Amino acid sequence: MEYKELVKSIPRPMREGLSENLMDILLEAKDGGNIPSSVAKMILYYWQRDQLASESGLTSLLRALVEADPMKTATVLDDFGLDEIKLAISPAEG
Amino acid sequence: MKSFGIEFVPMELFWRTTYYSIQAEHLGYDSIWITDHFNNRNVYVSLAVIANYTDRIKLGPGVTNPYLIHPTMTAQSVASLNELAPGRVICGIGAGDRTTLEMVDTPMKAPLRTVREAVEIIRRQIAREKGSYEGKLFKTSAGARFNFRVNDPIPIYIGAQGPKMLQLAGAIGDGALINASHPDDIERAVKLIVKGAEKAGRDPKEVDIAAYTSFSVAENEKKARKPVVPVVAYIVAGSPPFILEKHGIPVEKAEKIRSDLANRNWGEAFGAVDSNMIDSFAVCGSPDQCIEKIETLFKMGISHFVTGSPLGPNVRASIKLFGVDVLPHFKELP
Repeated sequence: MEYKELVKSIPRPMREGLSENLMDILLEAKDGGNIPSSVAKMILYYWQRDQLASESGLTSLLRALVEADPMKTATVLDDFGLDEIKLAISPAEG
Repeated sequence: MKSFGIEFVPMELFWRTTYYSIQAEHLGYDSIWITDHFNNRNVYVSLAVIANYTDRIKLGPGVTNPYLIHPTMTAQSVASLNELAPGRVICGIGAGDRTTLEMVDTPMKAPLRTVREAVEIIRRQIAREKGSYEGKLFKTSAGARFNFRVNDPIPIYIGAQGPKMLQLAGAIGDGALINASHPDDIERAVKLIVKGAEKAGRDPKEVDIAAYTSFSVAENEKKARKPVVPVVAYIVAGSPPFILEKHGIPVEKAEKIRSDLANRNWGEAFGAVDSNMIDSFAVCGSPDQCIEKIETLFKMGISHFVTGSPLGPNVRASIKLFGVDVLPHFKELP
């Protein structure tokens, strides 16, 4: 799944708010333990550098959320009008 | 100088605790303390990960104990951590939590002597002192030296609640972590720390005195109070009778809570926590209420305020609320 390519389409003014919302979901997700530790460490790497709203940061967040809580993530993406990414993380519709 | 720390209990997935630690550093907190209980994630594994993903904030165990971990191993752990985070390591040590020690049939014997000797051994190990150590409770031979050097000082903070341990903190600690939240308890504790320092011929200003509180901040008082209930239950369970009596809490009630906690009867234990217990053992409220309470504690003589568990109804939001609405009242931020 090429999230990196999809993330490029997210308008820049939206990225900060989106990363905040996605991080909120991740921190509360019941299945947070499903996230591969390599992906978790990438998120921490970008957070340490305050770059979670960058393309790489958002890519890591999406990779994690696909495992942790795809449904809530889809809702947030819907709220932000990011239909293409929402479809990409929803296997039933993708 | 006023310092502000934050405590995390590593009950969460490692990356969540680390996320919050990075958040704390970004917001200008000065120190991170990770609790040490066998039923949560390992304290030093947690600290090592945090060390890797932070750059400036101080970090260390808050607190370890010499009953479950031999002081040579504590010395080894903090010395090794110092290689990951040079000059940033702090070491909190105390007699431990009675409730959890009892779970593994480890009595808290001779706590003053145990903590004193543990601190002496940790310092000897870090300094690579030659010769043996002949304590009453711990002994090390001359061969027990580290095979590596420790290039930075590692301040040792003694966790204390009772009068003798507080005096010991003043006598030998680089810092003291007062396990209390109420101004009366803090005032009493500071006096004892000062007394201990003066008796040992030290300037009390050498001791960084921290109020290690149970803390919760939210947009209003009601939302802030609810999360502290479980933590206050543990505090009540572990408090000595004279502290309970000072706050008008029946000792039998505390013993019942301890028994319920030990047997994992959470509903019973938490249901017994009342408003008086919360006011006695936690700092909680809206940001303005917390500012007022923290100011009072600084007036009592502390130099360091630690926001301990639970932090608030939503950890990320509460860390942010404290960092944005409380910290700037006390210090200039980066």
